[in-house]
Amino acid sequence: MEQLRRLYNTHVKLLAFDLLSLTQTPSHSPSDPISFSRRGTFFFRAETVGTITSRELKPNKFLKFTVDDGTGCIVCVLWLNHLVSPYFSRCSPPSVRLIAQMASRFAAEVRLGVVARVRGRITSYRGAVQITVSDVVVERDPNVETLHWLECMSLASKCYDVRPS
Amino acid sequence: MESSAIKSGALVSLQDLHQSSPFFKQGASLRVTGKLQEFSVETAIAIVVDGNAKLKINTQHLRDLSFQVGSIYQFIGELLIQPDDEAILQARVGRNVDGIDLNLYHQSLQLLRQFQADHLSTT
Repeated sequence: MEQLRRLYNTHVKLLAFDLLSLTQTPSHSPSDPISFSRRGTFFFRAETVGTITSRELKPNKFLKFTVDDGTGCIVCVLWLNHLVSPYFSRCSPPSVRLIAQMASRFAAEVRLGVVARVRGRITSYRGAVQITVSDVVVERDPNVETLHWLECMSLASKCYDVRPS
Repeated sequence: MESSAIKSGALVSLQDLHQSSPFFKQGASLRVTGKLQEFSVETAIAIVVDGNAKLKINTQHLRDLSFQVGSIYQFIGELLIQPDDEAILQARVGRNVDGIDLNLYHQSLQLLRQFQADHLSTT
């Protein structure tokens, strides 16, 4: 079980075409975290870097946007409903306000044409893989995308596609 | 597999966009990078170059982007091939990428294409 979850806390760097081809693994119990697999490796969280090519805001509900890294478009969902969500009603109000403020700040950063580094949990909606966003950083260095591609390719061959012995 | 209605801009160099290229297709979604050679405020048409290759870019839908001749820009958009076979990219997003290492960029593009081809052939 430990080997299956070795990447549980890692935001794996995957190219969009790779991420979008992941298969959701059936969970054996409701308490199992949602995971996706490829070639026997299980992924839970991901990081992508690319150009924001669409943006759809539902105020106080969510921001849905797409990240195009040149190999595909990843749909990303940033929830903005923390203050009214029953899920967060169990948390302390100051913490919820802080989370809501951070999400609001991230949403303001997401603009068409900017390059952003987006991290979050890998989820799916209507059969399509997407990222439920935990943080967004706008990248201004024009070489960042090139570096991301190289990192994704290197990690795929040296880490993600390597079966643990 | 695309998971949204927004199409990904395929990474191409300007040299890739000749008439016999598989990328030279009506409506193809592309991402191009080049140095700004000319820009017309009246028509919003920019011409970008990379080595001997050049491409016209229709920038009318772009906002918050200033154009400086000599700077390097990157655009994502759809290719419109006119009746005289001249192509123009209808850009939907664009940005100034001054400081980009173009040698590394082009080399990485080749690696990326090989990586994608290898992965698609093994799945």
